[in-house]
Amino acid sequence: MRISIRSGLVIGWRQLFESLLSPGFYVMLSVGLALGSLLVAGFTGSIDSSGFEPQASPLYDLISRSLSGAFGATFVEKLFAEGPFLFALVAAFLPVSVYLAIASVFRFAQEKNAGAVELLVYGPADGTSYILAAFLKDLILSAGSLALIAAAFAVEAALTNLLLGPLFLWALAALFLLSASFFAYGLLCSIVVVSSSSAIALFLGISLVFSLVFAGSFTIVSAPVRTLSSTAAALLSWISPFFYAGMIFRGVQAGSQGAVLAGLLLLAFLSALLVLAGRLIIDAKGVRA
Amino acid sequence: MIRTRGLVKRYGAFAAVNGIDLNIPRGEIYGFLGPNGAGKTSTIMMLLGITRPTAGEIHLFGERYSPRRLDLRRRIGVVPEKHPRGVWHWMSAAEYLRFFADIFEVPRRNERIGMLLEKVDLAAFQKRRIGDFSRGMLQKLSIIRALLADPDILFLDEPISGLDPLGIKQVRDLILSENREGRTIFISSHQLSEMEKICDRVAIISRGKLIAEDAMESILSRISSDREIRVELETVPAALPARVKDLPFVRDAAAEGNVLTVKIQREGDFRKPVAEFLISQGLVALSLAEKALSLEEAFITITQENVVELAERGE
Repeated sequence: MRISIRSGLVIGWRQLFESLLSPGFYVMLSVGLALGSLLVAGFTGSIDSSGFEPQASPLYDLISRSLSGAFGATFVEKLFAEGPFLFALVAAFLPVSVYLAIASVFRFAQEKNAGAVELLVYGPADGTSYILAAFLKDLILSAGSLALIAAAFAVEAALTNLLLGPLFLWALAALFLLSASFFAYGLLCSIVVVSSSSAIALFLGISLVFSLVFAGSFTIVSAPVRTLSSTAAALLSWISPFFYAGMIFRGVQAGSQGAVLAGLLLLAFLSALLVLAGRLIIDAKGVRA
Repeated sequence: MIRTRGLVKRYGAFAAVNGIDLNIPRGEIYGFLGPNGAGKTSTIMMLLGITRPTAGEIHLFGERYSPRRLDLRRRIGVVPEKHPRGVWHWMSAAEYLRFFADIFEVPRRNERIGMLLEKVDLAAFQKRRIGDFSRGMLQKLSIIRALLADPDILFLDEPISGLDPLGIKQVRDLILSENREGRTIFISSHQLSEMEKICDRVAIISRGKLIAEDAMESILSRISSDREIRVELETVPAALPARVKDLPFVRDAAAEGNVLTVKIQREGDFRKPVAEFLISQGLVALSLAEKALSLEEAFITITQENVVELAERGE
C-alpha cells in the first residue's frame, strides 16, 4: 500500500504540473472570477434605501426570478441575506470545478485507451495509484481555485464596503467537499466506461440527474410533481452530493453546527466511498485498454 | 527466476491460457512464441501482474507473485510493443525518464539516465520532445525506461517491430549486452529469425497450451528427422542420385536441374564425405551446403502438428 500511495503521489505531482501548464484551467478561473466580480458589482447596483432590490438591476432581476423558479423564493431570500458573495462564490467556482472534473474524466479515459495507464502500472504503481493521483490533483487545484476566488472577493469586499458574511467560510468548505465528490464521480465514470466521450456523457448525465432532483426537492409546483421529485430525491439523496450540500446550507440557516458538520463529514465520506468503489472496480477490471 | 505452475486464465468459458508451466532460470534469454490468439499476451499480462490468473501460481525471484506485489514489480522492466502515442508527447526524453525514475525511486537518477542515454546513442536528443521521436528512437527510449531501475528481468514485447536494419542491430546488441550483465530476458515476438539469433531457449504456445519448450538447437533438431545437403553441380548425371543413395549415411537423394539434394541421417557432419564422393565421380561442386532448419519452419511445423493433433482429438 505504501508503494502504491508513493507512486500515486509521484503521478499526481506530474499531473498537477501538467494541469498548471494547461491554459484551460486559467481560462476557466478567469471566467469564474469575471463572473463573480460582475455579480458583486451588480449587487451593489441593486441596493437602494430599502436594501437589496433585485428589480433595480436587470441582471439580478433575471437571476432572482430564475432561482426563485428553480428553488423557491425563500431559498433566494436566504441566499442574498448576507450579501452577494455567497452566490458569487458558487457562480465563480462552478466553471472551474466543471472544467476540472471534465478534464479529469477525459484525461483518465484517454490515457487508459492509449495504454499510458498500463505503462505506469508495469512499474511499482497500480490502479489505486492512478486514482489517487487524479483525485489529489483535482483536490489541490480545487482548493487553490477556491483560495484564489476567496482572496479576490475579500479584496472586492474591502473595496465595496461589503461583508463576506459568516456563511462564506462554511460555503468554501462545502464547495470544496461538493466538488471533491463530483471529482470522485467523474473518476468512477472514467473507470466503468471505455471511451472518453462515453465517460464525459455519463458524468454529465449523472450530474444533471442530481441537479434536477435537487432543484425538484425545493419546488412545490403541483402535488404529482412534488411527489415524483420527493420520491426520486429520497431514492437518490444518499448518493447525491447536492443532498449533503443542502443539509449544510439548511444547518447554517438554522444555526445548527451539528447539522453542518454532519453534512461536511457525509460529503467527505461519500467522496471516500466513491474513490474506494473506483479502486475496487479498477482492481477487478484492470487498466488494459 | 520465473516459475509458473498450472497457470490458467479464463474469460467466461474460453480458456485463453490453459495450464502453463514455465521455468526460466536467471540470466537466460527466453523466447515466447505463438500464433495470434494463442494466449501469449494473457500469459505475459499475468506474469507482469496486470491481470490475475484464474488458477495456478506465479513465483518470481523465489517469491509468490500477485498483482499486489508492487515491491517485486520494481525488479521488472517492461518494453511494450507500442509506446502510448499522444501521451507525454510534450515531454523531453530526459523529463520523461526522470518521471519514471521517480516512480521507481531510482537512486542518482540523472546520472543513471545520462549513462543509459549514452548507451543507446540518444544523449544528443535528451532535450528533444518525445513527440518528435521516430519509431526507432521511441523504442530505444522505451528500453531505457525499462532499464532505469536496473531490473533483474526484462520483458520485451515485439522489441524490433517496425525498426530499420540498423535499429534492429542496435536493439539486438543492447539485449545481448544486458543479458551479459546477468539480466534475464523474456521476449515475445513474431520476428522468428531474430529470436533464433538471440534466444537461449524458446517456448511455443498454441491454443493456451505450451506445446514446446526447449533450447533453440533442440527445438530445431526435434522436428527434423532428416537433414539435407544441397549441392550445386556443373552437370548432374542421370545415375548420380541412385549412386549417392548407396552411401551408408544417405537416406535419400534427388536431382532437380543442376542441384542435387541429399537427405542424410540426423547425427554427424557429412559434407566432407559427400564432397569426396562427388570428386571421385569426376564431378565439380559449385557450392555445397547443409540446409539449416529455421526457427520459422520449426514454429510452423510444431504449431501445425498441434492443430492437427487437437483436430484428431476433436478439441
